[in-house]
Formats: sequence, C-alpha cells, structure tokens
Amino acid sequence: MSTNTTTMDFFAKNDKISNIWLILTLLISLFGVYGVFNVLINGHDVYGVTRTVPWGILISTYVFFVVSSTGLCLISSMGHVFGIEKYEVIGKRAVILAILTLLCGFGVIAMELGHPFRMAIYNIISPNFESAIWWMGTLYGVYLVFIIIEFYFLMKHNHKGAFYAGLGGFIAGISAHSNLGAVFGLLEARPFWHGPYLPIYFILSALISGTALIIIIFNISYGRPSNLPEKAKNALTGLSKLFGLFLGIIIFFDIWKIITSVYGAPPEKYESVMALLTGQLSFNFWFFEVMLGMLIPFFIILFTKGRNLTASLIAAISAVIGIFYMRYDLVIAGQLFPMREPAPGAHVQSALQNGMVTYSPSFSEISIVIGALGFCVFLYLLAEKYLNLSE
Amino acid sequence: MFLLKTKLNRRKFLAYSGGTLAAGAMATKFSTIKAIASEHGKQSKEPGTKTVPSACAICVNKCSLFADVKDGVIHKLNPNHNFFKSRSMLCARGNVGAKVPYAPDRLKKPLIRTGKRGEGKWKEVSWDEAYDYIVENVIKLIDKYDNRSSIAFASTEGLQEEFFRHLTSVVGSTNSVRHPTLCLASNIQGYSSVYGTLPDADIANAKFVVMAGSNRAEAFITPDTIDLAKNRKEQTFVYLDPRATKSAALADKWFPIKPGTDMAVVLAMINVIISEGLYDKEFVDKYTHGFDQLREHVKKNTPEWAEKESEIPADEIRWMARKFAENAPASVWYPGRRSSFTANDVYYRRSCAILNAIVGAWDRKGGLIPKSGISLKSHEFIFPLYDRVKNRIDGGKVNFAADVLPEYIKSNKGMPKDEVAFLSEADGSWVLFRDAILKQKPYPVKGMFIYKQNPVESVPNRAKTLEMLKSMEFICTIDIQMSDTAWYSDVVLPESTYLERWDPAHSLSGVAPVVIFRQPVIEPLFDTKSMKDITVDLTEKFLQKDAFWVDAWEEDKAYMEDYVKTFKGVPMSHIIEHQLSDYPGAYKMLKEKGCFYKTDKIPYGKTLKEGARLKTKTGKIELASVRYPEAGLYALPVYQKPSQPPEGKYRFVVGRHAQFTQANTQNVPYLLEAYGHYENMLWIHPKSALKQGLNDGDYAIVKSSAGEQKVKVHVTEYTRPDTVFYLHGFGRLSKWLTNVYKVGASDAEILEDYAETISGNALLHETFVEIKKA
Amino acid sequence: MSENSRALKLAEDNQKLANKRKKAKEKWGIVLDTSKCIDCKACTVACKMENYVPVGFYNYRIWVAEDTHYAKYPVISRSFQPSQCQQCENPPCVHVCPTHASYKTADGVVMVDSKKCILCKYCMTACPYDARYESHTTEAIDKCTFCYQRREEGKDPACVETCPPKVRVFGDLNDPNSEVSRLLAYNEYTVLKPEKGTKPKLKYIK
Repeated sequence: MSTNTTTMDFFAKNDKISNIWLILTLLISLFGVYGVFNVLINGHDVYGVTRTVPWGILISTYVFFVVSSTGLCLISSMGHVFGIEKYEVIGKRAVILAILTLLCGFGVIAMELGHPFRMAIYNIISPNFESAIWWMGTLYGVYLVFIIIEFYFLMKHNHKGAFYAGLGGFIAGISAHSNLGAVFGLLEARPFWHGPYLPIYFILSALISGTALIIIIFNISYGRPSNLPEKAKNALTGLSKLFGLFLGIIIFFDIWKIITSVYGAPPEKYESVMALLTGQLSFNFWFFEVMLGMLIPFFIILFTKGRNLTASLIAAISAVIGIFYMRYDLVIAGQLFPMREPAPGAHVQSALQNGMVTYSPSFSEISIVIGALGFCVFLYLLAEKYLNLSE
Repeated sequence: MFLLKTKLNRRKFLAYSGGTLAAGAMATKFSTIKAIASEHGKQSKEPGTKTVPSACAICVNKCSLFADVKDGVIHKLNPNHNFFKSRSMLCARGNVGAKVPYAPDRLKKPLIRTGKRGEGKWKEVSWDEAYDYIVENVIKLIDKYDNRSSIAFASTEGLQEEFFRHLTSVVGSTNSVRHPTLCLASNIQGYSSVYGTLPDADIANAKFVVMAGSNRAEAFITPDTIDLAKNRKEQTFVYLDPRATKSAALADKWFPIKPGTDMAVVLAMINVIISEGLYDKEFVDKYTHGFDQLREHVKKNTPEWAEKESEIPADEIRWMARKFAENAPASVWYPGRRSSFTANDVYYRRSCAILNAIVGAWDRKGGLIPKSGISLKSHEFIFPLYDRVKNRIDGGKVNFAADVLPEYIKSNKGMPKDEVAFLSEADGSWVLFRDAILKQKPYPVKGMFIYKQNPVESVPNRAKTLEMLKSMEFICTIDIQMSDTAWYSDVVLPESTYLERWDPAHSLSGVAPVVIFRQPVIEPLFDTKSMKDITVDLTEKFLQKDAFWVDAWEEDKAYMEDYVKTFKGVPMSHIIEHQLSDYPGAYKMLKEKGCFYKTDKIPYGKTLKEGARLKTKTGKIELASVRYPEAGLYALPVYQKPSQPPEGKYRFVVGRHAQFTQANTQNVPYLLEAYGHYENMLWIHPKSALKQGLNDGDYAIVKSSAGEQKVKVHVTEYTRPDTVFYLHGFGRLSKWLTNVYKVGASDAEILEDYAETISGNALLHETFVEIKKA
Repeated sequence: MSENSRALKLAEDNQKLANKRKKAKEKWGIVLDTSKCIDCKACTVACKMENYVPVGFYNYRIWVAEDTHYAKYPVISRSFQPSQCQQCENPPCVHVCPTHASYKTADGVVMVDSKKCILCKYCMTACPYDARYESHTTEAIDKCTFCYQRREEGKDPACVETCPPKVRVFGDLNDPNSEVSRLLAYNEYTVLKPEKGTKPKLKYIK
C-alpha cells in the first residue's frame, strides 16, 4: 500500500460541514479565552467556588465531557469489539469524538486544578493508590492512549488492532469511569454521593450520553436524517431503541435514588435531594434534568419505537442538554449541605437562611465552559470535515 | 479644694507627684541613675529569632507578653506564663498587636492641616516644623486670652500618659480632662464612699457571683473574666443584663432586668438578708458604721416591690439574697466597671458595696478585696506655677450643672444642681467640661491637646463634640492612628506604637499586684516618637521662647531645664531600674520574666487587722455615709425610679465586644473578621421589629434628640423588647480608618449627653430612640 | 521578606520537621472543655498570627461557632464550640489525596505538603468538618497543623497557649500521665461526627 492511498484513507472532505459552522464554533470557543486569561492573571478568586462548595461547574463540565467520552467508547465497542456488525459503522465517529471530548474534559479540569503541571509530576512520583482521583486520572490517561490507538487502527482498517485497542479502551474506560463515580461515591462526608450507586449510575449515564451523541453526530455528518445511508439508518434505529431502554433504566434509578433519599428524611441526603426537588436546584432538576434529560426523550423514543430518526435526533439533543445539567446538579447538590452548621462564628461560606450553602458559577467559569463546549464541537466539525470518518 | 486656692502663695510650688504612674527621677538623682549600667539602645535588624518580654497596650489590662521576633519582624506575641494576672493568656486583641506597627493606616509622619478642618488635607512635616507650629500657637493663645487654662488637655490612660500630664503642667493649664467620667468615675465614687476605695473581686475563690451589666466575657478585665469562665462549673453565677450577652453564656441564671432598676434588686436583697437575720452580725458590729439606719432604710424595699421595679421575680430575688448570705464571705456583687447607666449611679454603686459589707464578704477569701500595689520609687518634679492660670472650667460652682441631669431626677434632693460634688481634680467631667467650653463659661478655652483619646467617638453627642472642636483655634492630637479627633485637628503627631518604645515600669494594682514595663520589640518603623520624647522636645522648645515664661519665676525655668536634661540624658531602662531599686533583683526579674511580683498569693484581711483604718471619715465601712450629708447628699442609697421610654421609643443601651477596645481597634481587619461582621448591627427583639416593620438585614434609622444613624437590623431574642443596642466604635468620621469610615453606626452620634452631678460621670443608658425603616 | 514568603517558609520548615520527627512516638491530641468558652476569638486570631493565615473571612484554620439552642426571650442559654481540624486518626483527606500532599506525620498530625498539592480540592470535599481552605499564600490547601513548628520546643499550639480560660488542653494521648489522658480518664467526652468513622483526636468533655 502506498502512502498516498493511506492518506486518502485518512482524509476525505465532507462538504456537508459548512465553514460558517466552523467559524461560529471557533468564535464561541474564543469566548472561553476570556475566562482562561482571567484566571491566569487573577487566580482562582475569579471562580465562584467557595470553601463550602469547592467543586463547581468546571468539575461538572469535566464530568460531562468524560461521561460523553466513555459512553461513546462503550457504545462504539459494540461494533468492533463485541462484533455486532450492525454497529460497526459508528466506530470511527464515536471514537474520534470520544478522544475530543476527553481532551476537552482534560482542558476544563486543568483550568479547575490549581496546579495542573504539578499534577503531572506528582501523580507519577508520589502516587496515592488509595485515591480515587489518582486512579481516575491515571486510568483516563491509559484510556486516552487506547482510544487513540483504536482510532488509528480503525482509520487503517486494522480490525484486529482495533479489536485489541478497543477492548483495552473498553476496560480502561469502564474502570476510569466507575472510578470517577467512586471519586464521589467514596466520600463518607457527603451522604448524597456516598455509596456504590454513583459508580454504577455513571456507567449507565455514560451509555445514554454515548447513544445520544452518536445519533447527533451522524445527523451532523450527513446533514439530515433522510440523507443517512442505509447502514447508518439501521444502526441508529437500533441505537435509538437502546437509547430508550437506557433512559427507562435511568428513570428507574433516579426514582429509587430519590425515594431512598426522601423516605424517612435521612440526614444530609434528604436536604440535598430537597435542594433538587424544591430548593435552589429545582428548576435545573425539573426542567433540564427530568423533562429534557429523561421524560421528553424517553417518551419520544417510546412513541416512535425508535424508528423515526428525526424524532430520535430531537430526543438525543434534548437528552444531551439535560445530561449537562444532570452532571451539574449531581456535583453541586452533593455539596449544598454544609459540613458544619452555619451558626454565628462558624464562618460557613455562602450559607443561606435555610442552613444550606449555595453556589453560582462566576462569569469566568461560565465562559470557560461555553468555550470548551464550543471548542469541542469545532474540533469535531473539523475532524468530520477533513477526516475520512465514513467507511 | 481646688488647687488655685494656693495660688496667692507663690512660694508654694505646685508639686506634681508621679504617684503610682511613677515616671520620673529628681534632679538630684541624675548621677545615681546615670551610673547604673544598662543595655539600652536601639535594636538592630539582626537576622535570626529572638524573644523579647514587654507588655500589651491594646486595652487597659497591660498583660505581659513575650514577642517572637524573626529577622527584625514581629512574628507573634505570646502570653507570658509568669504573669499570673492574665492567667497566661493573650486575647484576640493582644494577639493582633503583632500587626499594629505594620498597619497600613497608622500615622507615619507629623502632619499639619492644610485644608479646612475635617477636610483631610495634610502636609507631612518634620518634627521641628511641627513643634515650632505648636509652640507658636500655644504662646499665641496664652497671650490672646491671658490665660494658660485657655488650653485644654484631654487624655486617656496608658503608661505614657504621665508624660502628657507633664506637658499639661509645663504649659500650665488646669484644664485636664480624662476618661474616668466616661468610664468608672461613679463606680469609684460609690464604692469609695463605703470602703474608702474601689475594691477588686476575688472571683477565683468566690462561690456566688452576681454581675449586673458588666459584660465581662466581652469586655475583658484580667483576671476576673478568665476566673469566671474557669469557675464555670464550680461557681454560681447570676447575670443581670437587658441583653443575653456572651457573659450570659457563663451564667447559671440570666435575668433580663429592666434597665436602670438594678438598685431595687440590691436593696431588696439587703432587705431580705437583714429581715431574715442572714447578715454577718459580728462583722457588721465590728467593722461597719450606720447599720441601724440601713435596717430602717431598706424596710420598704421588699422583694415584691423590687419585682415591680425590675421585673425579676420576688422569689428569685429572695433566692439570690439567701444564696448570697449562705456563700458569704465567698460572695460578690461584682463591683462593675463601666460607665454609669442612669443618673442614680453613685447611689446604686453604694448599695452594691453595702450588700457585700453586711454579709462580711470584704477582704476575705472569695469576697471583695481592697486592691494593693507594689510601690515603685518615684520622685516629684517641680513644675512651674504661673500667674496667668485660672480655675478648672468645670470645677467649683457651675451654674448650668443642672442642665446635664435628665429631667426626671432634677427634683431629686440627693443630686447636686450647681456643681459636681466630688469632681476629680485631674479628670474633670467630660460632659460638663464640653458644655463649659461651648458656653465659654466662665472663660474661653480655645486650644486643645489630645493624647490617645478620641472624644469625637467616646463622648456622648458627637455633634456637640464636633462643635466644640470647631470652636477651637488650635488642636494638636497625638496618636498612633488617625482617630476621628485627629482628623479634626490642626497638628497630628505620630506616636511610636507600644512595641517600638520604652515605657516606665508600672504596678498593676489588684488583689495580687504585679509590675510590668515595656521595651522596644522592634525599632520604630517610621518617623514616630514616644509621648515622653514629645513632651521633652516641646519643653525644650518652650525654654527657647522667653514669651512663654513672662509669668513664671526664674527658678521655674531652671527646674524645666533639669526636667529636660533628666529625660534627654537618661535612658528609660535606667529609670525603670531606679523605680525598682527598693527591691533587690526586681529589675533582673522584670527583664527576664517580663514582670516582677513579690507574691502571687492574695493578702487577705489587711484592713480587718486590729487598728487598721479604711480611708473613710469613720475609718470603718460606712453603710451610712458621713461625708455625703455634709455635701448635701443622701447618707443612704435612695432608690430613684428611672424614666421609661414613651410609646414607640426604645431605650438605647451601649455595650462592648471582645474584639474592640473602646473606639480603637475597629479598623483592624483581623478583628472585624473575628467580630464576624464588617459593620455593627442594631439588636432588636422580634416583637419590636415586627412593630416597627423591620426584618433581619434591613437598614433602620435610629434617632434621638442628639442625632440619627443608619444601621443594619439584627432581629434577636437576645434582648428585651423595650431595649435596643448597637456596638460602639463604628460609623466613623476619619477617612484614614479605612475599614470603618462611614461603615455602620456611631453610638456617640445618638447618645444624649446627660451626666450625674455626684462624680460627674456621663450617663449612657438615658437615651430613648425612635426606630424606623431606612 | 513578605508575608507570603514567610508563610511558604513556614510550610517548608514544617515538612522538614515532620521528616526529622519520623520516629516520634507521641500522639498529639486536644481535649476541650467548651463550657468555659466565651467566644473571645483569641484562639482564632492567635492562629492567624502564628501561621500567617491571610486576612479574609473564609481564610481560617480554626473557628469558634455558637451552638444552636432553644432561645425564646426570656428563656435563653448560650454556648460556644471552638474547633479546627480534628486531626483524625482515620483522616479521609489523607486517603483521597492523589499525590500524598495531605499526609499524617509520625506523631499523628495531618499536614499538607504545599509543594505536592495540586489544588484538586478533593480533600475539601472529603473533610466532614470543613477544616480546610485554599491558601493564597502557600498556593495550596492549608489547615491546622497543631502549630507543628512548635513541636520541637515543646510549646503548646498558639490556640491552646493563648486561650484565656484554657478551654483547650494539648498533649500526648499516648502518655498516660499527660493532662489530656487524665482528662479523658476522668471525664465523659465525645467527638464530632463519630458516625463518620474518622476517629478525631479532638475530644470534647461533656
């Protein structure tokens, strides 16, 4: 095989991706530069995070990105790892987006960390094997290597290589992602998070993000559902059904999570859940998380049986927006019950009259988030435009 | 009784005694002092760590401390564990002292005003320029009014205050005015009328303590505050206060007493103790005078009567009385230490003293203990007595004295109407003093020196104080920060902070006395001087001006030359060594252990020994005063019903917080943080808040006849519904107090300026305010 | 030398000291009798001075909070609870730290090696006591060290030393003759949030 053909294989121009979209997304990502510069100049004071809510929207956005990445990897592995032929078609697109979302996630977390470079050093020379963050970070590193190799093999049509790399990515992804759940789930201090629920829940929600994103990106690649090639249509119809199934399961998960957190008002869990149901996060919860994230997409899929791909696309977009808020709510709600009573003298930061604390993202944080999301889309469009992601 | 009676006899020099604040050395002693070797000298910025003993100056307690200095910078001030009076502690304010020399807002150079008064335009000048300006103005004023007393001298306590008072004497004014009449003058007067002295309380050993109003947990007095807290489990502590302060946290019982009625409770307790025969008969017979009169006097003061007055249940008063007698002599009605509440304060304090006396809780373990001191060697300087001097402006008969009394007490026969009966010669009476200046009666006072005090914020009715300052032709303030008073001055002299200077040794009198001193922990950071240096320098300048001495004798000038020579030539360490020269090894102990004492044991019973006499007329504990009737006052404490706030108004009470010394430390960010808020807040009961339509966090206008202030509302169960409170020292006028300038509300602005005319003390709980939403 | 560099130097010196004391046998703890506390904040200010904790409402290592009581005028009681890092024997902050920046010294003091801290703030979410904050001076997480710099001289931590009524008593829990051991032997005591299993070395006498 000559280099020429390899290059031809690697690159192919997709005219469906208009330059306007590229420029627009690039402009959106430039918006993030404001936040980046502000934090580099003025330090972390420009963030809205506090002593009581040390993890803010950057952490939840990071989670959103890596959940997406893991989901894409897991779903795509159905094809080239588990050999379900129908889904082989999604491989390249899913994996490239998995890489890009992960990188954007890393970018966001680097902005959140006080010392990202120190992390690179001390993660290696002074590792703490007890730390879920260490495992999560390390495994995501390994995972990134695997999916990059996987993508390379996919592009080279090396199925065996893709299989092994994909399997590695699958295992590393599941491990990394459940470890991300464990980052929260291992915190005894925070009853809303603590327990085995989150590692499991994270995998499940990754599957939802994965399916939804794949449905979206195929539509981007081909402009509209009617343009989809037959193979893709088949795959997406199947994915839509899975999407519905996963949504059903997560609704079931959520219901029980809420019931167990409300029934008998278990301390701290109850207050956190009530912040979602009736408190400061209730609009986020009911509108974005429940309506957009779960009910709307679920019923769309249920009534169309996944056969109407336009409906599936709407369901997917709705779900991805909802999932972004789900991550936010999850990260924030767990911290809203302060570790000490906000009594006089306790100096509990950002405490409210009702004994809870509050957090609102600062302009810098929001700009970084929007910038990162925009940049991720930009990168994907770029890849879509210039790489040969179709078979 | 006033010093000017001696004026006709010019041969009698006015001798100024250093007293307990001894700071001097007589001319004849020069050689001795100079011969004593010492290591006095400026400390270099040497690298490394050192520990320097000195004493705190952030409040009146003067706790001994050890300063950790690293590479010439104060790292930390630590408590001195040898200093038993502080019980090995340094409070929040004491700790924050480490930052005082480095405070960005402190005064760094002498300043002369260039703009209008209070406009805040200054030029930095050299000390010489500042001195020349001052000397010129002083001479101008004395000449203009032909009266050295036309210049007033206001100051507050401190180890360098002595030198300010020297300056008063050098200038020759009789008008010195000090803090006691904004503080404990009535207390001293009341207790002294019974015991001949204001005693301390042996809180460490007391078993039953009643405290009325003195919020010890938030206004530290060593060692009482600490002993109260330490004895939390062993001691029965009853606390009377319209507010549930942090002292209430220590209390076994807290009674939100109706303000101004404390005396009713005391009299009722005396009534119970006498009528139930619980008093110490032997003690009363042997040591007191006037018991039978007292017995008759309190017959009508039953607990049921007192309940109506004070709103404390009669049964509780009985319980208090019985417990008080049962635990005697380890019982204490805490001898206060705060400003007067109401006009009847001196009589009230008398009643408290009497209560302790009839159960024999005097000079015995756990009771009231007369203070003792360690007498330090001191010498008298002879200051000139000039021709052009007049009597104190607030001394003798003052025809407008009755004007300072609240209306309801004007008909009280036991309250003087034309004078302050027991005015302190050195201290004066601030409220009366200011009125006299404003009225220019009997003569104009047009110049003012102010040391360390901040009358703008500390004297009730701020508008009046500003008016007084406005009427001045010359004002010089000496301070470490731009106080509000300094802000309205013409010359501001920056004093070195207490960590940058030497201060003379000082005996802290109390149940067990101890001597402390100060030495520089670091070199002065800026172009500042101690009050001692300022007085000496100014005296030197005056000596150069013949115009200043026209009404003095030749030898006066010679004495002053000696005075200058003494302090110019002799390092403070030598003076301290001399002060302690009666006690072998004392100086060494002071330098090594940071304090000197003979014993930390309390010497009980000195006044109960055979032949001992108290400083009262009879030499006994005077339950019925002998001197008072002679001065036209009641011999026994007569209860005066206080006036009550009319419908829609509230009684405004003042109070303290552990982070703030008067109006001095509010600008320190660390202390604001510890206080928990950046501004002060109006305490108001939920019912009253509802009535006024106020919610927690709203802003309200608090208005009295003196003025009005806008303040944040704090709705709290911790106060009586008829009483409101906000903290002293906020809402400041000096822009150089950056953290509190116009932040929060000033109490001086709204307090009405009443005083009582027995001791001349200001009355801080006689103000009724209107409150409405801002 | 600025306040910041002094703070950094202190942090570094404490790391060196912890290394030097690798064989220390003590187990430091504080026993508190809060009934004596009058909320004077001497401890919190002393801590800030001793440890170069920067000005700021939420920059603090230790605190004094008012307990919540039933309070309806005129039936009122007040009490206060001084506290700080509980110096847990089973410290969640140390478990979660990815780089061992948070660690426990041989004598049981939980400290932060500011050079290793990546400021992921995982320890802040893991701490059930809100005892940690992000320090601008050390650019790392900062917390109570029991004034580790004072261990060699044998001096009490600043908060303990300066306290007027001596609410806090500091000492070696391993030494049966220490005052802390005696206080624990002769008094009933409790710890904060025992259900979290952190095994605090701050003990509150009931």
